[in-house]
Amino acid sequence: MFHWLEKHPFFFAVGVFIAIAFAGLIEIVPNFAQASRPVIGTTPYSTLELAGRHVYIKNSCNACHSQLIRPFKSETDRYGHYSLSGEYAYDRPFLWGSKRTGPDLMRVGNYRTTDWHENHMKNPPSVVPGSIMPAYTWMFKNIADINTAYAEQLTVAQFFAVPYNKEVPMRDGTTKIVKMGASVADANALALEEAKVIAADMKDQDVKDAVANGQIPEIVALIAYMNSLK
Amino acid sequence: MNIAELQAYGYFALTAILVLVLYGYIYHLYSKREDADGHDYEEYSNIALKDDVTDTPVSAISDDKEK
Amino acid sequence: MENRPLEYDYTVAKLFMLTTILTGIVGMLIGVILAFQLAFPEVNTILGSGLAEYTNFSRLRPLHTDAVIFGFTLSGVFATWYYVGQRVLKVSMAESGFLMFIGKLHFVLYIIGVAAVIFSLFAGVTTSKEYAEFEWPIDIAIVVVWVLWGISVFGLIGIRREKSLYISIWYYIATFLGIAMLYLFNNMEIPTMLAASPAGETGFGAWYHSVSMYAGTNDALVQWWYGHNAVAFGFTVPIVAMIYYFLPKESGQAIYSYKLSLLSFWGLMFVYLWAGGHHLIYSTVPDWMQTMGSVFSIVLILPSWGSAINMLLTMKGEWQQVAASPLIKFMVLGSTFYMFSTLEGPIQAIKSVNAIAHFTDWIVGHVHDGVLGWVGFMIMAALYHMAPRVFKREIYSKSLMATQFWIQTLGVVLYFTSMWIAGITQGMMWRAHDEFGNLAYSFIDTVTVLHPYYTIRGVGGLLYLVGFLMFAYNIYKTMTVGRKVEESELQNASPMGA
Repeated sequence: MFHWLEKHPFFFAVGVFIAIAFAGLIEIVPNFAQASRPVIGTTPYSTLELAGRHVYIKNSCNACHSQLIRPFKSETDRYGHYSLSGEYAYDRPFLWGSKRTGPDLMRVGNYRTTDWHENHMKNPPSVVPGSIMPAYTWMFKNIADINTAYAEQLTVAQFFAVPYNKEVPMRDGTTKIVKMGASVADANALALEEAKVIAADMKDQDVKDAVANGQIPEIVALIAYMNSLK
Repeated sequence: MNIAELQAYGYFALTAILVLVLYGYIYHLYSKREDADGHDYEEYSNIALKDDVTDTPVSAISDDKEK
Repeated sequence: MENRPLEYDYTVAKLFMLTTILTGIVGMLIGVILAFQLAFPEVNTILGSGLAEYTNFSRLRPLHTDAVIFGFTLSGVFATWYYVGQRVLKVSMAESGFLMFIGKLHFVLYIIGVAAVIFSLFAGVTTSKEYAEFEWPIDIAIVVVWVLWGISVFGLIGIRREKSLYISIWYYIATFLGIAMLYLFNNMEIPTMLAASPAGETGFGAWYHSVSMYAGTNDALVQWWYGHNAVAFGFTVPIVAMIYYFLPKESGQAIYSYKLSLLSFWGLMFVYLWAGGHHLIYSTVPDWMQTMGSVFSIVLILPSWGSAINMLLTMKGEWQQVAASPLIKFMVLGSTFYMFSTLEGPIQAIKSVNAIAHFTDWIVGHVHDGVLGWVGFMIMAALYHMAPRVFKREIYSKSLMATQFWIQTLGVVLYFTSMWIAGITQGMMWRAHDEFGNLAYSFIDTVTVLHPYYTIRGVGGLLYLVGFLMFAYNIYKTMTVGRKVEESELQNASPMGA
C-alpha cells in the first residue's frame, strides 16, 4: 500500500510535505504569543540606536559576537544576568549569533564606555592585547543611515505596536518615553541630539566635526547601540 | 482536565500511533516480496542501473495505457 | 524526429556544472582567507586599509557560507538533477521544448541571483540571519528561481516513461518542498519603504531594507528551524539523492536494499525537522522545545545511518573497486563522513555536551566535516561521473584524481581535528573557575590559546582548496583534450586516462 506513493508523484509530494510540516506546526506555533511580551524595563530602540543596530548588522558583528547569556555560573559571572525571553521583544531580527569568536555583547553597555569603544574599534589590540578582531576604521568616515532607521521605527510601530511615544514601565517603578520623530527632519534632529552627547565623550576630531555639522558617522550610532545593551 | 494533561495524553497517543505505523510499515515491507503491480521491490534498483534512454523501463507508463 | 535515435540532452546540466566549479572555487577561497584571518589578523587588510571594509572577516563570512551553500552545493544539486532526472525517468529534455526553455531560464535567473547576492553582501546589505542574509528583492528572485526548478522537476516527472520514481527522485522532490517551505516562512519580512511618517512623507530610507515579521525569541526559533533544516534539505537530502544514483551506477551494483531506502527516506522526512531546537539549547526558548530538539537529534541517527549503511553495503563483495577507482573512493569516504557527522551532530545536541560545545569552534568543525567530507566529495564525485557522459570524453587523469583525493582527505582531517581541540579547549576555559570561585581565564586568554589550531585549520582548508583546483583542472582538461569515447564504454565505471 505504501509503495503506491512512488508511482503517484503528486500524492508523494503531499505526503512529504505533511511529514516535514508537522514538526514546525507543533514546535513553533504554540510559542508565538507568549514569547513576544516584553519584560518590564525593556524599551524600544531610539532612532540613533536603531541606526547603530543597522551598522552592527551591516558589518555582521553577529558572526563573532553572541547576544545570549546562558544560565551558567561561568556566563553570569562573565557577562551579567542570564538572558530573558522578554528582553528581546523589540529585536527584529534577533542577534543571538551562533559563534563566540569574541565575547558576548548582551549587556556590554553595563561595563564598557563610549571612550573604550572608540579606542577599541579603531585598533582593537591596543585595548585588548592579543585581540584578533580587525579594526573598523571606515565606521569613523561612513555616515549612518538615519532615514532607514526612522522608516523601520514607523514600520514596527504601525505593524507590531511597538510603543514609541508611549509610556513604558521601568524596573524602578517610573516610566520612560522613547521618542520617535513626527517627520524625517524631526527624526534626524532627535538622532543628532543623541549623537552630540556621544560625540562629546569621543576624541576623534573628524567625528566631532561631522556631528557639529549635523552628520552622524556610523561609529557614533554603533556606540549608541552598544551603550543601550544592558 | 487542563491543557497540559490533554497535551500529555495527546503526546502518548501520538507516540503509540507512530510506533504502530512504523512497525506496521516494516512488517508490510518485509513480509511481502512484491508490490501491487507485481514487481519485486528490489527490481526498482534497476531504474538507476539500466538508465539509457533505449532501455526498457522497470514499470512503463505505457503499460497502463494499454490496459 | 521519430527515426533519429533519442538522446539525453545535457545542455542545462553542463551549465550548472560550470557554476558548481566556479562558485566552489570562490566559496572555498574566501573560506581559506577567513581561516587565515583568524590565525593572522593582518590578513584582514590584505588589499590595503582602503579596501579593509570589503576584505574584513565579518563582511566576508556570510559570503563564504552563502557561496558554498547557494553557489557550490545548489549548483551541484541542479547540475545533477538535470542529469539524473532525465536518466531515471527515462525521458530526454530534448523531447520537450517547454522544459528546455524553463531549464535555461532557470539557469539565467540563477546566475543573476548569484550576482545580486555577491554584490549585496559585499556592500553589507544583509538581514543578519544565517543563510538567509538576503533582503526582500533577492528573496523574491530566489523564490522565482526555485519555482522554475520546481516546474522543471515536476514537468519532467509529468512526461516520464518510467512509472515508478527512483529513490533519488524522492530526495529531489523533498529538497524542493523542504527549502520552499522553510525559506518562505523564515524570510517573512516587511519592506520599510512602505512606511509613511505622521508628516505624510513616504519612500525615505533604503528601498531594499526590511524588518523581520518575528521578534526576538520567535525570530530565533523560526531562524533555527530554517537554519538547521536548510542544512537538512541542502546538505543532506539532495546529496543522498546523488549517492543513491551515482554509487550504484559507477560501481554497477544494485542498491543493497530498496526497502531500507524507503524506511530511511520516510524516517528522515519525519524526524529531521524536529531537530532544529538543538541550536537553541540553554537559550530563552521553552525548555520542552530544547529537549525535543535534543531527543529528535539522537533519533535522527537511525534514518541517517540507514542510508549510509545502505550505501556501504551496496559495495558488499566489491571492495576491490574502492582500491581500484578514485571515483568510488570519493563516494565511499563521502558516505563514511556522512555517518561520522550524523553521529557527531547528535552528540553535540545532548544538553550537557552542548553546554560546552555551543558557540565554540567545535560546531564549525562539525559543519566542515559534513560539508568538506560529505557534500564536497559527493558533488565532485558526481561531476567526475557525469563529465565523460556529457562531454563524451574520457576523464583526463586518474592519477591526478587519486592525488587530489589524498590531499583533500588530509585537508579535512587537519580541519576537523584542529577544530575539535580548539572547541573543547575554549569551551572548558570559558567555564573554568579558580579555587575561590572566580573565573579562571579572561576572554582574551581563550582567544590567544587557539592560534595554533587556527593555523592548522587554515592549512587544512588550503589543502582542500588546492585539491578543488586540481579537480577543476581535471574537468577542464577532460572537456578539451580527453580521449573521445564510445557509448559502450560509459555503461558503469567511468573511463579514465592515466
